[in-house]
Amino acid sequence: MALPQIDTLDEQLIDMLSRDARVSNRKIAAELGVTEGTVRGRIKRLQQDGLIAFTAITGFEMGKRARLAFINVQADVDKVRDVARAIADLGAVNAVLITMGQFNITAMCLVDELDALVEIASDKILTINGVHHVETSIAVKTIKYNARMAKITRPVEIEDAEIADED
Amino acid sequence: MELTPCGAMRKPRWHTFAGKMPGLMTQSFSFDATDLNIVEQLRLNGRANNQQIAEKLGLTATTVSTRIKRMEDANQLRVVAVSDFSAHGFNVLLRISVEIDGRPASDVAHELAELPEVFAVHIVTGRYDIDMLVALHDFEDLAHFLLDRLSGIHGIRSLTPAIVVDICSYQFDVAPIEAKE
Repeated sequence: MALPQIDTLDEQLIDMLSRDARVSNRKIAAELGVTEGTVRGRIKRLQQDGLIAFTAITGFEMGKRARLAFINVQADVDKVRDVARAIADLGAVNAVLITMGQFNITAMCLVDELDALVEIASDKILTINGVHHVETSIAVKTIKYNARMAKITRPVEIEDAEIADED
Repeated sequence: MELTPCGAMRKPRWHTFAGKMPGLMTQSFSFDATDLNIVEQLRLNGRANNQQIAEKLGLTATTVSTRIKRMEDANQLRVVAVSDFSAHGFNVLLRISVEIDGRPASDVAHELAELPEVFAVHIVTGRYDIDMLVALHDFEDLAHFLLDRLSGIHGIRSLTPAIVVDICSYQFDVAPIEAKE
């Protein structure tokens, strides 16, 4: 896998921005001892290379979908990619991983009640062509979850305006 | 749902979200349509400035700023950079289902959560007791993880791994949020 090069400055930038993305370039520049132009250029490059994305993470009170559920899927090996794509396209699912193991697809979703999980797992996923078996498991307690690390799959939109200090 | 004592847990580092029951430990906080609209704009571009957000929503920059601060102070919003696993050099992702024997699952889960390679730990219903996600730089790290890290934790009866070979979608924008340190 050819990976874009990350140096110490990139790491420091990622570290700062993963605590708070709404810090001005000026403040980052001052803290890291580089110019604002360097900060601007680095952020742009990291976004373009798909290494970082800026987003808003909300607490559970914000929405009702408060339960994380795993849907483990056994699908025909020759249809795995199509099935995974179909599951991702359902919209109701937050993550779709293709895996090698007891199951070949793991879907993760946030639901507010069991009915919603049954609908996704048993009504929708189980009826996709190529799916044989579905097992669900609900996270009753999350001990650790690092939401700041993820797989960045969506394209980045880069807007030019910058966050000012008074923001 | 019951609250499990987690006295053995060290204070988590800033970048991990503490394991809290959803909704518990946070005071009730209500959001209105303006809050939700601002959050939607931030999800599209977390680094849009207050003026840009204000113009899109027909608000003043001051309102945007105040609302963001209010949600952040209530620990219901964090605007952050999410970085790709590969930015950290993690090229191997494993999902490991764990069976526990002879110990409370939450005790084992808290010990697993202490391991730097483990980036998510959930106590789950079903065939297994704990589900965890592990990120490694390469497969050579697996020996160290299994023989030096996991072997030191008592109560693990079995480990059923699944190697993540591809990620089709990964979009988590809701998570337990811990207070800022």
